[in-house]
Amino acid sequence: MTIIQKKETLKWILDNIAWFILLAMLTIFSFTVKGFAQWPIYRNILYHSVFVGILAIAEAICILSKEMDLSVESVLALSAVVTAYLAGIGLDASGLHLNGPTTLIIVLIMGAIIGLFNSYFIVRMKINSFIVTLAGYLIFRAIGLIITKGHGVVNISKDIVAVARTNIGPIPLMVIILLVIYVIFSLFLSKTQFGRFIYFVGDNREASYNAGIKTDRVLTIVFIMSGVLSALAGWLLAARTNGSSPSLGQGILFEAMAAVVIGGVSLQGGVGKLSGVFAGAVILSSISTVINIVNINPYYMNIIRGAMIIIAVLLDAIIRKIRPKLI
Amino acid sequence: MIILINGASQSNNQPILTVKNISKRFGNVQALKDVSLEIYKGDVIGLLGDNGAGKSTLIKIIAGNFPADEGEVFLEGKKVNFNSPSEARAAGIETVYQNSPVCINATVYENFYIGRELVNNFLGIKLVRNKEMQNGTMEVLKNLEISLPSVKAEIGLLSGGQRQAIILGRFFHWGGKIALLDEPFAALGVAESRKGLKLIRDISQKGLPIILITHNIEYAFQVMNKFVILRHGEVVGAGEKKDVSVEDIVSLITGAIEIKE
Repeated sequence: MTIIQKKETLKWILDNIAWFILLAMLTIFSFTVKGFAQWPIYRNILYHSVFVGILAIAEAICILSKEMDLSVESVLALSAVVTAYLAGIGLDASGLHLNGPTTLIIVLIMGAIIGLFNSYFIVRMKINSFIVTLAGYLIFRAIGLIITKGHGVVNISKDIVAVARTNIGPIPLMVIILLVIYVIFSLFLSKTQFGRFIYFVGDNREASYNAGIKTDRVLTIVFIMSGVLSALAGWLLAARTNGSSPSLGQGILFEAMAAVVIGGVSLQGGVGKLSGVFAGAVILSSISTVINIVNINPYYMNIIRGAMIIIAVLLDAIIRKIRPKLI
Repeated sequence: MIILINGASQSNNQPILTVKNISKRFGNVQALKDVSLEIYKGDVIGLLGDNGAGKSTLIKIIAGNFPADEGEVFLEGKKVNFNSPSEARAAGIETVYQNSPVCINATVYENFYIGRELVNNFLGIKLVRNKEMQNGTMEVLKNLEISLPSVKAEIGLLSGGQRQAIILGRFFHWGGKIALLDEPFAALGVAESRKGLKLIRDISQKGLPIILITHNIEYAFQVMNKFVILRHGEVVGAGEKKDVSVEDIVSLITGAIEIKE
Protein backbone atom coordinates (compact mmCIF):
# COMPACT_ATOMS: atom_id res chain seq x y z
CA MET A 1 0.00 0.00 0.00
CA THR A 2 1.26 3.43 -0.85
CA ILE A 3 1.16 6.23 1.68
CA ILE A 4 -1.79 7.82 -0.12
CA GLN A 5 -3.73 4.55 0.00
CA LYS A 6 -2.93 4.18 3.67
CA LYS A 7 -4.16 7.69 4.34
CA GLU A 8 -7.32 7.06 2.35
CA THR A 9 -7.95 3.87 4.30
CA LEU A 10 -7.43 5.57 7.63
CA LYS A 11 -9.69 8.42 6.55
CA TRP A 12 -12.35 5.95 5.55
CA ILE A 13 -12.11 4.21 8.94
CA LEU A 14 -12.40 7.50 10.78
CA ASP A 15 -15.38 8.56 8.67
CA ASN A 16 -17.15 5.31 9.48
CA ILE A 17 -16.04 4.91 13.06
CA ALA A 18 -19.60 4.31 14.32
CA TRP A 19 -19.78 1.11 12.27
CA PHE A 20 -16.52 -0.17 13.74
CA ILE A 21 -17.80 0.55 17.22
CA LEU A 22 -21.04 -1.26 16.42
CA LEU A 23 -19.22 -4.29 15.01
CA ALA A 24 -16.87 -4.41 17.98
CA MET A 25 -19.79 -4.20 20.39
CA LEU A 26 -21.82 -6.90 18.66
CA THR A 27 -18.77 -9.15 18.57
CA ILE A 28 -18.04 -8.65 22.24
CA PHE A 29 -21.68 -9.13 23.24
CA SER A 30 -21.98 -12.22 21.06
CA PHE A 31 -19.03 -13.86 22.77
CA THR A 32 -19.59 -12.73 26.33
CA VAL A 33 -23.34 -12.47 26.82
CA LYS A 34 -25.06 -15.80 27.01
CA GLY A 35 -27.98 -16.15 24.64
CA PHE A 36 -27.03 -13.02 22.64
CA ALA A 37 -25.61 -14.69 19.53
CA GLN A 38 -28.83 -15.72 17.84
CA TRP A 39 -30.96 -14.33 15.03
CA PRO A 40 -34.05 -13.47 17.15
CA ILE A 41 -31.88 -11.19 19.28
CA TYR A 42 -30.33 -9.45 16.28
CA ARG A 43 -33.77 -9.15 14.73
CA ASN A 44 -35.08 -7.66 17.93
CA ILE A 45 -32.23 -5.14 17.99
CA LEU A 46 -33.08 -4.05 14.46
CA TYR A 47 -36.81 -3.93 15.16
CA HIS A 48 -36.09 -1.87 18.23
CA SER A 49 -34.11 0.66 16.16
CA VAL A 50 -36.95 1.40 13.73
CA PHE A 51 -38.59 4.30 15.58
CA VAL A 52 -35.42 5.86 16.98
CA GLY A 53 -33.79 5.29 13.60
CA ILE A 54 -36.42 7.19 11.61
CA LEU A 55 -36.61 10.03 14.13
CA ALA A 56 -32.82 10.18 14.02
CA ILE A 57 -32.95 10.82 10.25
CA ALA A 58 -35.35 13.71 10.86
CA GLU A 59 -33.06 15.09 13.56
CA ALA A 60 -29.91 14.49 11.51
CA ILE A 61 -31.23 16.45 8.53
CA CYS A 62 -32.03 19.39 10.81
CA ILE A 63 -28.65 19.23 12.54
CA LEU A 64 -26.82 18.94 9.21
CA SER A 65 -28.45 22.24 8.26
CA LYS A 66 -27.29 23.63 11.63
CA GLU A 67 -30.75 23.77 13.09
CA MET A 68 -32.47 21.60 15.64
CA ASP A 69 -35.87 19.99 15.91
CA LEU A 70 -36.97 19.16 19.44
CA SER A 71 -40.55 18.61 18.33
CA VAL A 72 -39.87 15.28 16.57
CA GLU A 73 -40.90 13.26 19.61
CA SER A 74 -44.19 15.09 20.07
CA VAL A 75 -44.96 14.93 16.36
CA LEU A 76 -44.39 11.18 16.57
CA ALA A 77 -46.72 10.97 19.57
CA LEU A 78 -49.39 13.16 17.95
CA SER A 79 -49.17 11.16 14.75
CA ALA A 80 -49.59 7.88 16.65
CA VAL A 81 -52.57 9.30 18.53
CA VAL A 82 -54.21 10.62 15.36
CA THR A 83 -53.60 7.32 13.58
CA ALA A 84 -55.08 5.33 16.45
CA TYR A 85 -57.99 7.74 16.84
CA LEU A 86 -58.93 7.64 13.14
CA ALA A 87 -58.29 3.93 12.62
CA GLY A 88 -59.47 2.69 15.99
CA ILE A 89 -62.20 0.10 16.00
CA GLY A 90 -63.09 0.39 19.67
CA LEU A 91 -65.39 2.86 21.41
CA ASP A 92 -62.46 4.96 22.57
CA ALA A 93 -61.68 6.07 19.00
CA SER A 94 -63.32 8.42 16.50
CA GLY A 95 -65.62 5.79 15.07
CA LEU A 96 -64.41 6.59 11.57
CA HIS A 97 -62.58 3.26 11.17
CA LEU A 98 -60.27 4.64 8.50
CA ASN A 99 -57.93 2.20 6.79
CA GLY A 100 -54.12 2.20 6.80
CA PRO A 101 -53.29 4.12 3.60
CA THR A 102 -55.81 6.87 4.40
CA THR A 103 -54.49 7.41 7.91
CA LEU A 104 -50.92 7.31 6.61
CA ILE A 105 -51.64 10.05 4.09
CA ILE A 106 -53.45 12.12 6.72
CA VAL A 107 -50.62 11.95 9.27
CA LEU A 108 -47.92 12.58 6.67
CA ILE A 109 -49.75 15.71 5.52
CA MET A 110 -50.13 16.68 9.17
CA GLY A 111 -46.38 16.20 9.64
CA ALA A 112 -45.68 18.40 6.63
CA ILE A 113 -47.97 21.13 7.98
CA ILE A 114 -46.25 20.98 11.36
CA GLY A 115 -42.87 21.26 9.63
CA LEU A 116 -44.15 24.26 7.71
CA PHE A 117 -45.44 25.75 10.95
CA ASN A 118 -42.04 25.32 12.62
CA SER A 119 -40.18 26.68 9.63
CA TYR A 120 -42.44 29.74 9.45
CA PHE A 121 -41.20 30.90 12.83
CA ILE A 122 -37.62 29.80 12.23
CA VAL A 123 -37.16 31.06 8.67
CA ARG A 124 -39.59 33.97 8.38
CA MET A 125 -39.65 35.25 11.95
CA LYS A 126 -35.99 34.35 12.48
CA ILE A 127 -36.59 32.78 15.87
CA ASN A 128 -34.02 30.24 17.04
CA SER A 129 -35.07 26.73 16.04
CA PHE A 130 -34.29 25.42 19.51
CA ILE A 131 -36.92 27.74 21.00
CA VAL A 132 -39.53 27.24 18.29
CA THR A 133 -39.35 23.46 18.41
CA LEU A 134 -39.19 23.45 22.20
CA ALA A 135 -42.59 25.11 22.05
CA GLY A 136 -43.61 22.52 19.46
CA TYR A 137 -42.40 19.77 21.79
CA LEU A 138 -44.91 20.98 24.39
CA ILE A 139 -47.75 21.81 22.03
CA PHE A 140 -48.00 18.79 19.74
CA ARG A 141 -48.11 16.11 22.40
CA ALA A 142 -50.70 18.14 24.25
CA ILE A 143 -52.88 18.30 21.13
CA GLY A 144 -52.79 14.51 21.03
CA LEU A 145 -53.84 14.32 24.67
CA ILE A 146 -56.70 16.71 24.04
CA ILE A 147 -57.96 14.66 21.08
CA THR A 148 -58.18 11.49 23.15
CA LYS A 149 -58.97 13.29 26.44
CA GLY A 150 -55.83 11.77 27.85
CA HIS A 151 -56.92 8.21 27.28
CA GLY A 152 -55.20 5.53 25.29
CA VAL A 153 -56.69 3.93 22.21
CA VAL A 154 -56.50 0.18 21.73
CA ASN A 155 -57.35 -1.97 18.72
CA ILE A 156 -56.87 -0.26 15.43
CA SER A 157 -57.48 -1.20 11.83
CA LYS A 158 -55.98 -4.60 11.05
CA ASP A 159 -54.16 -3.49 7.91
CA ILE A 160 -52.10 -1.06 9.98
CA VAL A 161 -51.22 -3.61 12.62
CA ALA A 162 -50.24 -6.05 9.89
CA VAL A 163 -47.35 -3.75 8.91
CA ALA A 164 -45.80 -4.39 12.31
CA ARG A 165 -46.41 -8.11 12.27
CA THR A 166 -45.47 -9.10 8.75
CA ASN A 167 -42.16 -10.75 8.08
CA ILE A 168 -40.51 -11.01 4.72
CA GLY A 169 -38.49 -14.17 5.03
CA PRO A 170 -36.76 -13.87 8.39
CA ILE A 171 -36.81 -10.07 8.34
CA PRO A 172 -39.68 -8.00 9.76
CA LEU A 173 -41.32 -5.63 7.27
CA MET A 174 -40.67 -2.78 9.71
CA VAL A 175 -36.92 -3.37 9.48
CA ILE A 176 -37.12 -3.39 5.69
CA ILE A 177 -39.03 -0.11 5.79
CA LEU A 178 -36.31 1.32 8.02
CA LEU A 179 -33.53 0.17 5.69
CA VAL A 180 -35.30 1.47 2.59
CA ILE A 181 -35.82 4.88 4.21
CA TYR A 182 -32.15 5.00 5.19
CA VAL A 183 -31.01 4.11 1.69
CA ILE A 184 -33.32 6.68 0.11
CA PHE A 185 -32.30 9.48 2.44
CA SER A 186 -28.60 8.59 2.27
CA LEU A 187 -28.73 8.82 -1.51
CA PHE A 188 -30.77 11.98 -1.28
CA LEU A 189 -28.22 13.67 0.99
CA SER A 190 -25.09 12.51 -0.77
CA LYS A 191 -26.07 12.36 -4.42
CA THR A 192 -28.69 15.01 -5.10
CA GLN A 193 -28.05 18.69 -5.52
CA PHE A 194 -30.64 19.58 -2.92
CA GLY A 195 -29.07 17.14 -0.46
CA ARG A 196 -25.72 18.86 -0.91
CA PHE A 197 -27.42 22.22 -0.37
CA ILE A 198 -28.49 21.01 3.09
CA TYR A 199 -24.83 20.40 3.95
CA PHE A 200 -23.72 23.75 2.51
CA VAL A 201 -26.42 25.69 4.33
CA GLY A 202 -25.41 24.02 7.61
CA ASP A 203 -21.72 24.53 6.95
CA ASN A 204 -21.76 28.20 6.02
CA ARG A 205 -25.02 29.96 5.41
CA GLU A 206 -23.37 33.11 4.08
CA ALA A 207 -21.28 31.22 1.54
CA SER A 208 -24.38 29.29 0.46
CA TYR A 209 -26.42 32.44 0.11
CA ASN A 210 -23.62 34.14 -1.81
CA ALA A 211 -23.55 31.19 -4.17
CA GLY A 212 -27.19 31.79 -5.01
CA ILE A 213 -28.63 28.96 -2.92
CA LYS A 214 -32.07 29.85 -1.58
CA THR A 215 -31.17 29.14 2.03
CA ASP A 216 -34.66 29.94 3.35
CA ARG A 217 -36.21 27.46 0.98
CA VAL A 218 -33.69 24.79 1.95
CA LEU A 219 -34.45 25.25 5.66
CA THR A 220 -38.20 25.22 5.08
CA ILE A 221 -37.96 21.92 3.24
CA VAL A 222 -35.65 20.52 5.93
CA PHE A 223 -38.28 21.14 8.60
CA ILE A 224 -41.07 19.79 6.41
CA MET A 225 -39.04 16.60 5.88
CA SER A 226 -38.42 16.38 9.61
CA GLY A 227 -42.15 16.68 10.30
CA VAL A 228 -43.07 14.07 7.69
CA LEU A 229 -40.46 11.57 8.91
CA SER A 230 -41.56 12.03 12.53
CA ALA A 231 -45.18 11.51 11.53
CA LEU A 232 -44.22 8.36 9.65
CA ALA A 233 -42.41 7.04 12.73
CA GLY A 234 -45.54 7.78 14.76
CA TRP A 235 -47.74 5.89 12.32
CA LEU A 236 -45.41 2.89 12.51
CA LEU A 237 -45.40 3.12 16.30
CA ALA A 238 -49.20 3.05 16.33
CA ALA A 239 -49.01 -0.07 14.15
CA ARG A 240 -46.53 -1.63 16.54
CA THR A 241 -48.52 -0.89 19.67
CA ASN A 242 -51.93 -1.49 18.03
CA GLY A 243 -53.08 1.86 19.31
CA SER A 244 -51.68 4.73 21.27
CA SER A 245 -51.15 5.69 24.86
CA PRO A 246 -50.65 9.15 26.35
CA SER A 247 -46.99 8.55 27.16
CA LEU A 248 -46.13 6.89 23.85
CA GLY A 249 -42.54 7.49 22.79
CA GLN A 250 -41.67 9.59 25.80
CA GLY A 251 -37.93 10.29 25.88
CA ILE A 252 -37.35 9.05 22.34
CA LEU A 253 -36.16 12.53 21.35
CA PHE A 254 -33.04 12.08 23.43
CA GLU A 255 -32.38 8.64 22.01
CA ALA A 256 -32.69 10.02 18.49
CA MET A 257 -30.39 12.89 19.39
CA ALA A 258 -27.90 10.44 20.90
CA ALA A 259 -27.99 8.26 17.77
CA VAL A 260 -27.27 11.33 15.64
CA VAL A 261 -24.29 12.40 17.75
CA ILE A 262 -22.91 8.87 18.14
CA GLY A 263 -23.32 8.48 14.39
CA GLY A 264 -20.86 11.30 13.82
CA VAL A 265 -23.15 14.17 12.83
CA SER A 266 -21.60 17.37 14.12
CA LEU A 267 -23.73 19.89 15.96
CA GLN A 268 -21.76 22.56 14.13
CA GLY A 269 -23.62 21.62 10.97
CA GLY A 270 -22.58 20.35 7.58
CA VAL A 271 -20.76 17.23 8.79
CA GLY A 272 -21.94 13.65 9.02
CA LYS A 273 -23.51 10.78 7.14
CA LEU A 274 -26.75 8.90 7.62
CA SER A 275 -24.98 5.54 7.54
CA GLY A 276 -23.28 6.62 10.76
CA VAL A 277 -26.62 7.65 12.25
CA PHE A 278 -28.04 4.22 11.44
CA ALA A 279 -25.09 2.61 13.23
CA GLY A 280 -25.70 5.00 16.14
CA ALA A 281 -29.34 3.91 16.41
CA VAL A 282 -28.40 0.22 16.30
CA ILE A 283 -25.65 0.76 18.91
CA LEU A 284 -28.20 2.23 21.33
CA SER A 285 -30.66 -0.54 20.59
CA SER A 286 -27.99 -3.23 21.15
CA ILE A 287 -27.10 -1.77 24.50
CA SER A 288 -30.68 -1.74 25.73
CA THR A 289 -31.16 -5.29 24.46
CA VAL A 290 -28.11 -6.48 26.38
CA ILE A 291 -29.33 -4.74 29.50
CA ASN A 292 -32.60 -6.62 29.12
CA ILE A 293 -30.90 -9.96 28.62
CA VAL A 294 -28.47 -9.80 31.50
CA ASN A 295 -31.06 -8.27 33.78
CA ILE A 296 -29.18 -5.15 34.69
CA ASN A 297 -31.24 -2.53 36.45
CA PRO A 298 -32.76 -0.56 33.51
CA TYR A 299 -32.03 2.67 35.30
CA TYR A 300 -28.44 2.19 34.19
CA MET A 301 -29.55 2.61 30.60
CA ASN A 302 -29.45 6.38 30.64
CA ILE A 303 -26.05 6.38 32.31
CA ILE A 304 -24.76 4.25 29.47
CA ARG A 305 -26.46 6.44 26.87
CA GLY A 306 -24.97 9.54 28.46
CA ALA A 307 -21.54 7.96 28.55
CA MET A 308 -21.90 6.97 24.89
CA ILE A 309 -22.65 10.56 23.94
CA ILE A 310 -19.61 11.86 25.82
CA ILE A 311 -17.42 9.19 24.21
CA ALA A 312 -18.81 10.04 20.77
CA VAL A 313 -18.08 13.72 21.22
CA LEU A 314 -14.56 13.03 22.52
CA LEU A 315 -13.94 10.69 19.62
CA ASP A 316 -15.14 13.35 17.24
CA ALA A 317 -12.70 15.85 18.75
CA ILE A 318 -9.83 13.37 18.33
CA ILE A 319 -10.81 12.61 14.75
CA ARG A 320 -10.89 16.31 13.98
CA LYS A 321 -7.30 16.56 15.18
CA ILE A 322 -6.14 13.63 13.06
CA ARG A 323 -8.00 14.45 9.87
CA PRO A 324 -5.97 17.48 8.74
CA LYS A 325 -2.95 15.20 8.55
CA LEU A 326 -4.75 12.94 6.10
CA ILE A 327 -5.14 15.24 3.11
CA MET B 1 5.92 62.54 -11.95
CA ILE B 2 2.32 61.72 -11.14
CA ILE B 3 -0.23 61.22 -13.84
CA LEU B 4 -3.61 62.01 -12.43
CA ILE B 5 -6.25 59.45 -13.04
CA ASN B 6 -8.58 61.57 -15.13
CA GLY B 7 -5.85 62.59 -17.46
CA ALA B 8 -4.27 59.19 -17.50
CA SER B 9 -3.16 58.00 -20.88
CA GLN B 10 -5.39 55.11 -21.80
CA SER B 11 -6.18 53.12 -24.85
CA ASN B 12 -9.61 54.08 -26.06
CA ASN B 13 -11.30 50.88 -24.88
CA GLN B 14 -14.01 51.27 -22.28
CA PRO B 15 -13.16 51.04 -18.59
CA ILE B 16 -14.61 48.01 -16.80
CA LEU B 17 -15.37 50.03 -13.71
CA THR B 18 -15.65 53.77 -13.30
CA VAL B 19 -16.05 55.42 -9.93
CA LYS B 20 -17.03 59.05 -10.31
CA ASN B 21 -16.88 61.74 -7.63
CA ILE B 22 -17.86 59.49 -4.75
CA SER B 23 -18.40 61.10 -1.36
CA LYS B 24 -19.50 59.44 1.86
CA ARG B 25 -20.03 60.76 5.37
CA PHE B 26 -20.51 58.80 8.56
CA GLY B 27 -21.93 61.33 11.00
CA ASN B 28 -19.28 63.99 11.32
CA VAL B 29 -16.60 61.98 9.61
CA GLN B 30 -16.00 62.64 5.94
CA ALA B 31 -14.93 59.12 4.96
CA LEU B 32 -14.63 59.79 1.25
CA LYS B 33 -14.52 63.06 -0.65
CA ASP B 34 -14.88 63.32 -4.39
CA VAL B 35 -13.07 60.07 -5.15
CA SER B 36 -12.80 58.94 -8.76
CA LEU B 37 -11.03 56.05 -10.41
CA GLU B 38 -11.17 53.95 -13.54
CA ILE B 39 -10.06 50.39 -14.08
CA TYR B 40 -9.47 48.67 -17.40
CA LYS B 41 -8.98 45.08 -18.48
CA GLY B 42 -5.56 43.90 -17.43
CA ASP B 43 -5.20 46.43 -14.64
CA VAL B 44 -4.12 45.72 -11.10
CA ILE B 45 -4.80 48.89 -9.18
CA GLY B 46 -3.12 49.20 -5.82
CA LEU B 47 -5.57 51.03 -3.58
CA LEU B 48 -3.24 52.31 -0.91
CA GLY B 49 -3.45 54.43 2.16
CA ASP B 50 -3.06 54.47 5.90
CA ASN B 51 -5.63 53.12 8.34
CA GLY B 52 -8.77 55.20 8.16
CA ALA B 53 -7.87 56.64 4.78
CA GLY B 54 -11.14 55.41 3.31
CA LYS B 55 -9.96 52.35 1.37
CA SER B 56 -12.46 49.98 2.94
CA THR B 57 -15.30 52.47 2.61
CA LEU B 58 -14.59 52.83 -1.09
CA ILE B 59 -14.40 49.06 -1.57
CA LYS B 60 -17.65 48.58 0.31
CA ILE B 61 -19.43 51.14 -1.84
CA ILE B 62 -18.20 49.42 -4.99
CA ALA B 63 -19.20 46.02 -3.60
CA GLY B 64 -22.70 47.18 -2.68
CA ASN B 65 -22.37 47.03 1.11
CA PHE B 66 -23.73 50.56 1.39
CA PRO B 67 -24.50 53.40 -1.00
CA ALA B 68 -22.45 56.55 -1.54
CA ASP B 69 -23.90 59.90 -0.50
CA GLU B 70 -22.83 61.44 -3.76
CA GLY B 71 -21.26 60.21 -6.94
CA GLU B 72 -21.78 57.37 -9.34
CA VAL B 73 -20.43 53.94 -10.15
CA PHE B 74 -20.42 52.60 -13.70
CA LEU B 75 -19.85 48.99 -14.64
CA GLU B 76 -18.90 48.58 -18.29
CA GLY B 77 -20.32 52.00 -19.01
CA LYS B 78 -23.66 51.35 -17.35
CA LYS B 79 -24.60 53.14 -14.17
CA VAL B 80 -25.13 50.72 -11.30
CA ASN B 81 -26.82 51.11 -7.93
CA PHE B 82 -26.26 48.02 -5.84
CA ASN B 83 -28.44 47.60 -2.78
CA SER B 84 -26.53 44.61 -1.44
CA PRO B 85 -23.30 42.69 -1.97
CA SER B 86 -25.29 39.92 -3.64
CA GLU B 87 -26.50 42.32 -6.31
CA ALA B 88 -22.93 43.44 -6.94
CA ARG B 89 -21.83 39.83 -7.05
CA ALA B 90 -24.52 38.96 -9.54
CA ALA B 91 -23.28 41.82 -11.71
CA GLY B 92 -19.73 40.47 -11.50
CA ILE B 93 -18.07 42.34 -8.65
CA GLU B 94 -16.76 40.34 -5.72
CA THR B 95 -14.66 41.07 -2.68
CA VAL B 96 -12.20 38.37 -1.69
CA TYR B 97 -10.74 38.60 1.76
CA GLN B 98 -9.00 36.56 4.40
CA ASN B 99 -12.22 35.24 5.90
CA SER B 100 -14.35 35.10 2.80
CA PRO B 101 -17.11 32.67 3.66
CA VAL B 102 -16.61 29.13 2.36
CA CYS B 103 -18.10 25.80 3.36
CA ILE B 104 -15.13 24.55 5.33
CA ASN B 105 -16.37 20.98 5.62
CA ALA B 106 -17.17 20.68 1.95
CA THR B 107 -14.51 19.68 -0.54
CA VAL B 108 -12.58 22.04 -2.80
CA TYR B 109 -14.56 20.98 -5.85
CA GLU B 110 -17.89 21.35 -4.05
CA ASN B 111 -16.94 24.86 -3.04
CA PHE B 112 -15.81 25.53 -6.57
CA TYR B 113 -19.15 24.51 -8.05
CA ILE B 114 -21.38 25.56 -5.15
CA GLY B 115 -24.75 26.71 -6.46
CA ARG B 116 -23.67 25.75 -9.99
CA GLU B 117 -23.37 22.00 -9.58
CA LEU B 118 -23.12 19.86 -12.66
CA VAL B 119 -26.13 17.56 -12.51
CA ASN B 120 -27.82 14.75 -14.35
CA ASN B 121 -31.54 14.97 -14.48
CA PHE B 122 -33.09 11.68 -13.47
CA LEU B 123 -36.91 11.83 -13.42
CA GLY B 124 -36.72 15.41 -12.24
CA ILE B 125 -34.17 14.60 -9.53
CA LYS B 126 -30.91 16.47 -9.91
CA LEU B 127 -28.02 14.10 -9.29
CA VAL B 128 -24.59 15.67 -8.81
CA ARG B 129 -21.80 14.65 -11.17
CA ASN B 130 -18.88 14.55 -8.75
CA LYS B 131 -16.31 13.14 -11.13
CA GLU B 132 -16.91 15.85 -13.73
CA MET B 133 -16.82 18.56 -11.08
CA GLN B 134 -13.53 17.19 -9.74
CA ASN B 135 -12.01 17.16 -13.20
CA GLY B 136 -13.38 20.61 -14.01
CA THR B 137 -11.93 22.05 -10.82
CA MET B 138 -8.57 20.38 -11.41
CA GLU B 139 -8.39 21.83 -14.89
CA VAL B 140 -9.16 25.38 -13.81
CA LEU B 141 -6.72 25.22 -10.93
CA LYS B 142 -4.07 23.78 -13.21
CA ASN B 143 -4.54 26.57 -15.73
CA LEU B 144 -4.09 29.10 -12.96
CA GLU B 145 -1.17 27.13 -11.53
CA ILE B 146 -2.85 26.86 -8.14
CA SER B 147 -1.43 23.75 -6.51
CA LEU B 148 -3.41 21.79 -3.93
CA PRO B 149 -3.01 18.38 -2.31
CA SER B 150 -6.36 17.26 -3.72
CA VAL B 151 -9.61 18.77 -4.97
CA LYS B 152 -11.34 16.19 -2.78
CA ALA B 153 -9.83 17.70 0.38
CA GLU B 154 -12.10 19.69 2.65
CA ILE B 155 -11.40 23.34 2.00
CA GLY B 156 -11.20 24.03 5.75
CA LEU B 157 -8.08 21.90 5.93
CA LEU B 158 -6.21 24.09 3.45
CA SER B 159 -4.17 27.19 4.21
CA GLY B 160 -5.59 30.70 4.07
CA GLY B 161 -3.64 31.43 0.91
CA GLN B 162 -4.92 28.32 -0.85
CA ARG B 163 -8.45 29.19 0.14
CA GLN B 164 -8.23 32.71 -1.23
CA ALA B 165 -6.62 31.36 -4.39
CA ILE B 166 -9.54 28.98 -4.87
CA ILE B 167 -12.10 31.73 -4.30
CA LEU B 168 -10.33 34.04 -6.72
CA GLY B 169 -9.97 31.25 -9.27
CA ARG B 170 -13.64 30.38 -8.88
CA PHE B 171 -14.68 33.98 -9.33
CA PHE B 172 -12.51 34.30 -12.43
CA HIS B 173 -13.77 31.04 -13.87
CA TRP B 174 -17.45 31.92 -13.47
CA GLY B 175 -17.11 35.13 -15.38
CA GLY B 176 -16.35 37.70 -12.69
CA LYS B 177 -15.76 41.18 -14.10
CA ILE B 178 -13.72 42.78 -11.36
CA ALA B 179 -12.20 41.41 -8.15
CA LEU B 180 -11.64 43.47 -5.04
CA LEU B 181 -8.91 41.92 -2.91
CA ASP B 182 -9.05 43.18 0.65
CA GLU B 183 -5.77 42.66 2.50
CA PRO B 184 -5.16 39.23 0.96
CA PHE B 185 -1.71 38.86 2.52
CA ALA B 186 -2.70 39.79 6.06
CA ALA B 187 -2.15 36.34 7.56
CA LEU B 188 0.03 34.72 4.93
CA GLY B 189 3.64 33.64 5.15
CA VAL B 190 6.27 34.81 2.68
CA ALA B 191 6.10 31.77 0.40
CA GLU B 192 2.31 31.85 0.29
CA SER B 193 2.24 35.57 -0.36
CA ARG B 194 4.60 35.07 -3.27
CA LYS B 195 2.23 32.51 -4.76
CA GLY B 196 -0.64 34.90 -4.22
CA LEU B 197 1.20 37.70 -6.00
CA LYS B 198 1.86 35.45 -8.95
CA LEU B 199 -1.79 34.46 -9.09
CA ILE B 200 -2.90 38.09 -9.04
CA ARG B 201 -0.54 38.86 -11.91
CA ASP B 202 -1.65 35.81 -13.92
CA ILE B 203 -5.34 36.40 -13.40
CA SER B 204 -5.17 40.06 -14.29
CA GLN B 205 -3.25 39.20 -17.44
CA LYS B 206 -5.95 36.71 -18.31
CA GLY B 207 -8.38 39.60 -18.29
CA LEU B 208 -9.81 39.99 -14.77
CA PRO B 209 -9.06 43.48 -13.46
CA ILE B 210 -8.18 43.63 -9.80
CA ILE B 211 -8.27 46.29 -7.12
CA LEU B 212 -5.81 45.35 -4.44
CA ILE B 213 -6.00 46.84 -0.98
CA THR B 214 -2.96 46.19 1.12
CA HIS B 215 -0.75 47.71 3.74
CA ASN B 216 2.18 45.94 2.23
CA ILE B 217 3.44 48.46 -0.29
CA GLU B 218 6.28 46.23 -1.34
CA TYR B 219 3.86 43.50 -2.35
CA ALA B 220 1.56 45.98 -4.03
CA PHE B 221 4.50 47.32 -5.96
CA GLN B 222 5.28 43.89 -7.32
CA VAL B 223 1.88 43.36 -8.95
CA MET B 224 0.15 46.63 -9.60
CA ASN B 225 0.43 48.59 -12.81
CA LYS B 226 -1.52 51.55 -11.42
CA PHE B 227 -2.14 52.98 -8.01
CA VAL B 228 -4.61 55.18 -6.21
CA ILE B 229 -3.61 56.63 -2.88
CA LEU B 230 -6.18 57.82 -0.38
CA ARG B 231 -5.55 60.07 2.57
CA HIS B 232 -8.28 61.35 4.84
CA GLY B 233 -10.83 60.21 2.27
CA GLU B 234 -9.30 62.04 -0.67
CA VAL B 235 -7.27 60.84 -3.61
CA VAL B 236 -3.83 62.31 -3.02
CA GLY B 237 -2.09 60.50 -5.82
CA ALA B 238 -2.91 58.26 -8.70
CA GLY B 239 -1.13 57.08 -11.77
CA GLU B 240 1.04 54.38 -13.23
CA LYS B 241 3.56 52.45 -11.24
CA LYS B 242 6.34 52.89 -13.77
CA ASP B 243 6.42 56.60 -12.98
CA VAL B 244 7.00 56.29 -9.26
CA SER B 245 9.21 54.64 -6.65
CA VAL B 246 8.23 52.87 -3.45
CA GLU B 247 9.47 55.93 -1.58
CA ASP B 248 7.18 58.22 -3.56
CA ILE B 249 4.23 56.03 -2.63
CA VAL B 250 5.14 55.99 1.04
CA SER B 251 5.54 59.75 1.03
CA LEU B 252 2.14 60.17 -0.55
CA ILE B 253 0.50 57.86 1.96
CA THR B 254 2.00 59.62 4.94
CA GLY B 255 1.51 63.05 3.45
CA ALA B 256 5.20 63.89 3.35
CA ILE B 257 4.67 65.10 -0.18
CA GLU B 258 1.49 66.45 -1.60
CA ILE B 259 0.41 66.81 -5.13
CA LYS B 260 -2.29 69.18 -6.13
CA GLU B 261 -3.59 69.96 -9.54
